Amino acid sequence: MLLQILANALALGAAYALLALGFVLILNATGAVNFAHGDMVMAGGYVAIAMGSVLQLPGALLLPLVVAVMALLGFVFSWFAYFPLKNRPPVSVFISTIALGIIFQNSANAIYGAAPRKGPPLLSEGNFGMGGITIGAQALGIVVVAIVLIVAQHLLLNRSGIGRKLRATAQDREMAEAVGIRVNRMIALTFALGSALAGAAGLMLSNTFFITPTDGTNYVIKAYIAVTIGGWGSLSGAVCGALIIALFEVLFPSLPLLIPPLKIIAPWLFTQTASTILLYVGLLAIMFFRPQGLFGETVQRRV
Amino acid sequence: MNAVVRSVMGWSRSGIRPLFILGIILLALWPTLMTSAYQMRIFTIVGIYALLSLGYQFIFGHAGALSLTQGTFFGVGAYVTGILSVRYGLGGEFTVLLSIALPLALAALIAAPVLRLESHYFALATLGVGQVMLLVAISWQDLTGGANGLSGIPGLTLFGLEFGKGYGIMAVVWVCVAMGAFVSWRITRGLYGAALVISRENRIAALSIGIDTAQLRYAMFLLSAMFAGLAGALYAHTIRVVSPEALEFAIMVACLTITVVGGRTHIAGAILGAILIVNLPEWFRAMEKYYLIAYGIALLAMIVAAPYGLIGLLEQWRAKLLPEKPPAMPPAEPFIFVRAARSAAGPLLEIRDVHKHFGGLKALNGISLMVAPGQIFGLIGPNGSGKTTMLNVITGIYRADSGSVYLDGTDIHNKRSFVIAQSGIARTFQNINLVEEMSVLDNVAVARYGFDNAGLVQTFAAGRIDPAWKRARSNAMYVLEGLGVATVAQSAAGSLAYGLKRKVEIARALALEPRLLLLDEPAAGLNEGEQLDLADRLRAFARGGLAILVIEHNMPFLMPLAERMACLDYGDLIAEGTPAEIRANPLVIEAYLGTPEEKRA
Repeated sequence: MLLQILANALALGAAYALLALGFVLILNATGAVNFAHGDMVMAGGYVAIAMGSVLQLPGALLLPLVVAVMALLGFVFSWFAYFPLKNRPPVSVFISTIALGIIFQNSANAIYGAAPRKGPPLLSEGNFGMGGITIGAQALGIVVVAIVLIVAQHLLLNRSGIGRKLRATAQDREMAEAVGIRVNRMIALTFALGSALAGAAGLMLSNTFFITPTDGTNYVIKAYIAVTIGGWGSLSGAVCGALIIALFEVLFPSLPLLIPPLKIIAPWLFTQTASTILLYVGLLAIMFFRPQGLFGETVQRRV
Repeated sequence: MNAVVRSVMGWSRSGIRPLFILGIILLALWPTLMTSAYQMRIFTIVGIYALLSLGYQFIFGHAGALSLTQGTFFGVGAYVTGILSVRYGLGGEFTVLLSIALPLALAALIAAPVLRLESHYFALATLGVGQVMLLVAISWQDLTGGANGLSGIPGLTLFGLEFGKGYGIMAVVWVCVAMGAFVSWRITRGLYGAALVISRENRIAALSIGIDTAQLRYAMFLLSAMFAGLAGALYAHTIRVVSPEALEFAIMVACLTITVVGGRTHIAGAILGAILIVNLPEWFRAMEKYYLIAYGIALLAMIVAAPYGLIGLLEQWRAKLLPEKPPAMPPAEPFIFVRAARSAAGPLLEIRDVHKHFGGLKALNGISLMVAPGQIFGLIGPNGSGKTTMLNVITGIYRADSGSVYLDGTDIHNKRSFVIAQSGIARTFQNINLVEEMSVLDNVAVARYGFDNAGLVQTFAAGRIDPAWKRARSNAMYVLEGLGVATVAQSAAGSLAYGLKRKVEIARALALEPRLLLLDEPAAGLNEGEQLDLADRLRAFARGGLAILVIEHNMPFLMPLAERMACLDYGDLIAEGTPAEIRANPLVIEAYLGTPEEKRA
């Protein structure tokens, strides 16, 4: 039972990790929160549904196409949400991404309506039996795809010339510009990368959890929380944060299944609602007591 | 009589006020043309959103914090009214008050952990609070009616009078808007208003002149919650149902859009924004589900093209087309800004064994220093030797890892930055911290914040012109004259040359009536004549009893000025003594001054 739950948590956490990674990449490159990041997940889901209905292919084969379309969308996104405001305070970008989020949501609503839609599965909807536990093919697929994408992202960033330029831009934009890096191009590329990762997460989540036009807010909050838990700006922290959130979300409501007495003592506590509330309360506690995140070291800003 | 008429005429003609007056007349006439109950209802909802946005301007506009919880306060207000009037049959006297009180209590509760957070955390935390309230409203079915909400909310009754559908509730709502606008105008002007501006635009500078920026933010947050609660109560009485929709993020987005489109700090902006955004779906009815896309496009376009909103845009155009004469300079009002030395013997400032490190970097390594009253003390050292860090420790911007700092025998180490400023330590900054858009005069005048007992209540209660602000500006004029920069008093601080900005910063620091003045490279950007002039003025202040600690690289300026000097190197104090001793000290020469031959080369 526990293994089953952990497997589900891992799958959810893997998808969250993709979206938190994209969020933090854009955050580092621009210094601003991309509030439409959840809407990029949503858009990825609908792009997958649209392509799936035309091409009749499984998700695994649609994935490269969805990633490409979403990268393009991220590129365009940066032209509207970021570049006109790059010399303004980060809060302006925050608001412009809220605006683009509204546009995304309502475009999706106008095209597909408010009813939940189901995305194509990666391979099939079947289950594997392994050592007494059954794992959904989708869950397994999500974990595999996420690992592949995270490793690819890591290699791109740390082992390639363009990755070095991307990191330089995120670390110190002026210095990067001074040594001849095309900073604007790098930032646009970061948006493309972040959007592509979000789109991949969207493709996979839309099968398990379905998708509606307003799901984005929920997803961006998850990314936001993951990054806060993991330490603002930390890539590995974002992945850890995503896994922690997913583990909590899946494990906490199922605790009475593992420990039956809990069902009698406090049945109201182990609901989805209560666990979400607890997650936020925990988040507030972390922000209050450890604003540098769970893993980070205290950094004092210099004046 | 004539004078009164003239002053009213003058007021109504200045700025874009003719447009405002026209707008108010049109707004008042509009309801008389309404033919259907539906139109009246829309107009009532415009008023409700205007009120919500007026409140949001306090925290988002005036305090400059992106709060995402305004919609939540609104929803809580609506639920309080819904629950109390449907389940308990309470009248408007109680429901409206409690609808204001509960969001206020909620704001006070969450402010403690949330308000001190940096902007991106603040936004997330307020968003989280909203999500929690929404979940509570949906799942606490016995009280809130769950997902369906509560219907059958009666019309608003106040002390037996009923304000039902149509003109009744509309009148109440717009009277509330008028009162809200009045409150907003009264609070955000004058000395308190100026303190809000500097706290928002440059927090470090605000702290350095003794303004408790956290307290201002707190007050703005509570005000925004009260306005939202009132708007929520009126909303519940207008649409007669309350459901989780009232707590959904869409309300917050509408409020944010109204405020950005209209203008973040302009009262008229909240009203104009509400008119546009509430009516948008009506005007674009033909577009059905696409109008919400237009919503997003409007928000995006405004944030890119007109960051101060439509009203801000109008102001800009007006300033270009019909430039106003700058208002007359206030007369300089003398006051003693250099306080005489205190009586007791002993140093004014004593620093004992202060350590400060950043990660592995030792910025200050056991520094001890003393500055006497009326003494000019020079602090030198290579770049990165810890001079500015020293200043930041003294002024409480950094907390020392160990050691203590005494001002006139009182331990000020560990006190908050603005408290240290209030106790008599003023400073300037290496990379100037003025509010660029504010005039030079106002930049200096705002430093009088702590002297006139300026506060929210006082500003609100003052007449048409805030007397505290008038005095502050007159005093500021006097200090500017004292530094010989009164001629630029009207200019925007951002438009000045570098050297002048430094002098304005010194003037602002002096307006604080300090006992100790900390100057971070005051001579940078001044030519030789100006340097001599500044040195003369500083000497005169010191003769009056003011102690001055000067960080400077310019030795021809500092050596004749300072009575005593100290040299830092990599966080260590390597020498202390008279300028002559310092000049001759081999350690100082090696670390910093170099040999005369090298200097010339």
